[in-house]
Amino acid sequence: MSEYFDIYTVGVGGQGILTISDIITLAAVEKGIGVNFFPTKGMAQRGGFVKAQLRLGREQGLYSPSISEGGADLIVSMELSETLKAVRYGKRGADYVVLGLRWQPTAVMLGKAPYPDEHQVAGEISAAGGILHYLDPADIPSYMRGNLYTLGAVCAHSRLKEFFSCEDIERIIADRWKKVAESNVATFRAGYSASLKTL
Amino acid sequence: MKKIVSGNEAMAYGALRAGVKVVSGYPGTPSSEVIASLLEMDLPGTRVEWSTNEKVAFEVAAGAAFAGHRALCTMKMSGLNVCYDSLIGVAYSGCIGALVVFVADDPGVSAGMCEQDTRMFAVMSDMPMLEPCSLQEIYEMTVSAFDMAEAIGGPVFIRLVTDNSQSHGVIEVEERVQPKADAPMPPYDPSKYTKAGAAICMRQHRDLIARLDAAEKYIADKDLNKLDLKRQGGLGVISVGITNGYLSEALERLGEAGADVSGISTLRLAATIPYAKGGITSLLERCSKVLIAEELEGLIEKYCFMEAYKNKLDVQFLGKEDGTFSRIGQFDALLVENGVRKALGLEAAASNLKDKPERLCAARPIGFCAGCPHRGTYMGLEKGLNASGFKKEQVFITGDIGCTILGSCPPFDILWTELSMGASIPFAHGVAYSGIPSPVIATIGDSTFFHAGISGLVNAIQHNIDMIVVILDNGWTAMTGMQVNPGTKQDFQKGEWKRLDIEPLLRGLGVENLWSVDAYDVNAMGDATQKALKLPGVKVILSRRECAIQATRHKVKYAPIAFETAKCVGCKKCINVTGCPAIELAGKVIAIDSTQCNNCGLCAGVCPTKALRAAG
Repeated sequence: MSEYFDIYTVGVGGQGILTISDIITLAAVEKGIGVNFFPTKGMAQRGGFVKAQLRLGREQGLYSPSISEGGADLIVSMELSETLKAVRYGKRGADYVVLGLRWQPTAVMLGKAPYPDEHQVAGEISAAGGILHYLDPADIPSYMRGNLYTLGAVCAHSRLKEFFSCEDIERIIADRWKKVAESNVATFRAGYSASLKTL
Repeated sequence: MKKIVSGNEAMAYGALRAGVKVVSGYPGTPSSEVIASLLEMDLPGTRVEWSTNEKVAFEVAAGAAFAGHRALCTMKMSGLNVCYDSLIGVAYSGCIGALVVFVADDPGVSAGMCEQDTRMFAVMSDMPMLEPCSLQEIYEMTVSAFDMAEAIGGPVFIRLVTDNSQSHGVIEVEERVQPKADAPMPPYDPSKYTKAGAAICMRQHRDLIARLDAAEKYIADKDLNKLDLKRQGGLGVISVGITNGYLSEALERLGEAGADVSGISTLRLAATIPYAKGGITSLLERCSKVLIAEELEGLIEKYCFMEAYKNKLDVQFLGKEDGTFSRIGQFDALLVENGVRKALGLEAAASNLKDKPERLCAARPIGFCAGCPHRGTYMGLEKGLNASGFKKEQVFITGDIGCTILGSCPPFDILWTELSMGASIPFAHGVAYSGIPSPVIATIGDSTFFHAGISGLVNAIQHNIDMIVVILDNGWTAMTGMQVNPGTKQDFQKGEWKRLDIEPLLRGLGVENLWSVDAYDVNAMGDATQKALKLPGVKVILSRRECAIQATRHKVKYAPIAFETAKCVGCKKCINVTGCPAIELAGKVIAIDSTQCNNCGLCAGVCPTKALRAAG
């Protein structure tokens, strides 16, 4: 296999999903691994679709910032329904670390529009040849940041660990939020040792 | 020094390396971070500003270049449409200093605007347009753009697309070059800097064409276009800017899939305009088939057809004309790979998917943030319309660019049109002439009003049009990422910048019927609407309250909203009327998400049982 590693991350505005890619970007820079981080925020509003595409191990200028269909080694999702927007981009055999949070649009909340359940999402992932690692949002203590918790799970359950050790990531986290370094690192570790489901 | 930057920041550093004296622009996704990042830096000797609009920004930069300095002007593609009149004038005149115009296109429309190909403007204005690919190239080509502009004596475009302007990675940055402190008086030369008379204009046209030829020579001398000739009679591929990277990845993928790509000739262009005559002719002479991988329009492709015809070369082209690629949407490596596969007679890459996974995805319509003051304005507007005997769908209301356009989304669904910056007022003016059986109302945000709304309002006032103009003033250019505009509070204006208040401006324009209301006061907005509907001529309602996101950032606090679960009957009126994302359903009753709620109180105003109550 190549030394490339492509990560497709999705969620909604306000969840801090860009921070996940940001931390991996910093870790890559520290280790001298080529990295391109391409976030797409949509408009400046909370609750809108957000995605980030991270390409590791590539030399500048010789690739596309966007990951092609069927190209991602790892999918990270922090919103159940939005996971479906990433499935197209997963390789066969890709790891999917999915936090099953439901950010319901108003029409869904009012019972006027459908919302997929976790088994439907799991079915689509499986049909695309992906391997699901499902994080139950109920397992995350309310004082913990979902994005760092998810990042912990990503480090435990994907090939990302072949690029970075836990210490590599923890150092970045501690450096980034000096005042709350301890609790953020603890959140990351909690995610790292969280028990995941396959559904 | 190594730095982690976005594509736009790479351009900012490139401009600093080039000794830029003046940087001006107007915010627009995906171009905004060039100026945003420069405004964060302490740059003695360089003037950086958000200008009122792109035309103004361009003229500011052009003035500095006229006086012999290096100047950069930044905008998104829509902005180039706005400044084009002045731009082409300066292209014809040329300039003494170096003028670089950065424009960002958005193939695939991630930011919601016309999917136009700005390269067409380079064709029309005979201006060279550099199109870097990687972040390091953006940095280096920005420096080259200034050097080239100075060398040819005319303005130069540099074009990015969303994919590279918004990419982040590591580049090597050199030290900033300090710009000159001052400049000598420029020569008095109306024959160059005015358009007074046909002889002058035609001589300038001749000079302009000569400058484009000089740019072609500059690009050739610097070896910016990369020609790699391989097998005689084989396949050639032409790519440009961002697609250079797509091509590299596509060829690598093909190699991994076992295809023989060693005989493929490539021409990787750093610019569409000027056309790379030499490189293209060499490629056409070498290859029997040529694939042209360019996003949006087939400009290089059309030029190739012409060159092949002129040189009597029998080449088969694959691109837009034969349907290999679409004129719509963005490219990626797979798309280019499949183009090469088609040219080589190979099957398209197999897909993982049998069905579209997105079909099950919950629709996620965009809408106002929790606490957005525009929500109150539209609620009040509807209230006023209803009290005057109208249903909202019976009233013609234009929208404008920016956050205010979200009034066209549920649950408001109140805006009929979105056109271009400032267009809401003249468009409504025209509709008012048409005699439709409805009052005519225009809505516009503060930054948009300053940008191009004022001239339309002047026109409506002069012609005494029966219409209402609602200005939704949240104090920021919000949708593009919270930039300062002329109306932003003085505390947030940078350095010596001075705030302009919209209200006295409106009075000065002679608006006699003017209501200034608090956007959170739905009743006041409703009353103003009712009164305005009864009066002739141009009426203006100025609805003001700071953007909720910005207010929260600088610790503005509102009195908490009280919610008594026991009183909630689950009527969902708060959700249906406000569409506020901070209100959730918790079983049969509602719940407030305190992490989002800013206590604007708009939901309390619609709660029939007083389960939601504003304090005090």
